[in-house]
Amino acid sequence: MKGRKRGELAVVAAFVLLGFLLGVQLKSVRLHSAVDATSASRLETLQELYNDLSNERDGLADQLATAQKELEDYRQAAASGEGSEALRQEVDYLSMVAGLTDVEGPGVMVVLQDSTAENTTGDEADYLIHDSDLLSVINELRDAGAQALSLNGQRILATSEIRCAGSVVLINGQRVTAPFVIYAIGDPTTLHNALTMRGGVVDVLSQWKIQVNVTMSEKLLIEKYSGSIATNYLTPATETTEGGEAG
Amino acid sequence: MKLELIGLAVGLALGFLCPWTVPAGWSLYVAAGLLAALDSALGGARARLQGQFKLGIFLSGALGNAVIAVLLTWLGEKIGIPLYLAAVVVFGTRLFQNFAEMRRELLTGRPKRDKIE
Repeated sequence: MKGRKRGELAVVAAFVLLGFLLGVQLKSVRLHSAVDATSASRLETLQELYNDLSNERDGLADQLATAQKELEDYRQAAASGEGSEALRQEVDYLSMVAGLTDVEGPGVMVVLQDSTAENTTGDEADYLIHDSDLLSVINELRDAGAQALSLNGQRILATSEIRCAGSVVLINGQRVTAPFVIYAIGDPTTLHNALTMRGGVVDVLSQWKIQVNVTMSEKLLIEKYSGSIATNYLTPATETTEGGEAG
Repeated sequence: MKLELIGLAVGLALGFLCPWTVPAGWSLYVAAGLLAALDSALGGARARLQGQFKLGIFLSGALGNAVIAVLLTWLGEKIGIPLYLAAVVVFGTRLFQNFAEMRRELLTGRPKRDKIE
């Protein structure tokens, strides 16, 4: 009699356990599938937003190209007017300096690649090219008289930023990645020597086994900047303007 | 039979009411344990119906089967073969067998049934 009671109890306990597991599992599976569904629909929404934005960007790029063509036409028209040869030269000069026309000339091409050295310091960042490395190369080139510069096809303007953003570098709001190719127009020998002199930028970078190749070239083409430059805070200063730090 | 069903209902209620849920990574293990529990419960019910129930056999089967099912799942995950399918097949087959025997017992064995109740 007693054995039967215990047996009854054991089987009932097994059923209770079965029910408990079933309940928990059912609840969990339902919860997880709900989470999956949420993240899937979120992914879809984000994808849609992304597509919309890329379409918008493409449209704006087209619009920009049209506007620039128009501007070119106006300049041509203005230049063909009477007594405007000096004006045309001025426009050409200014747009060349400002980076708004393609320019070409002799110079150097600098190619920087991330280090191939084995990681011994434990910090991967030590072996990657950072904004500071690029800036010191560009600063050196400017010091050596570079008259036009570009980084990975982006013209370097007076307002250009060069800044690390995660694993990429931002320039003119565009993301570029290694290998970094810098074009500099100027006297090729001077530019070359400025970079490769003993204790110079290339020397320092190669200590980290960051590969820097400096090639002299007779003819480099640097493309114009194709974005727009914001001037909404700027007005040409007048004599009467009272600026605290104008003096 | 009534007590078993009540136990199942109580267990279900407890499972739904209890505040925590199984993390996604553990879901497979709980499912394997669940299958083992299902097999044990039905097997126990069958044995009691047939009057051949032995507590030691029932307990060792319930615990051992659950442990082996969970171990198989774990091993399968380590070596990249869904070994828990073995547990699914075995427990699934036995579920039908147990059910068949219970059916026979209930439908044909009136006198025997009287003996155990």
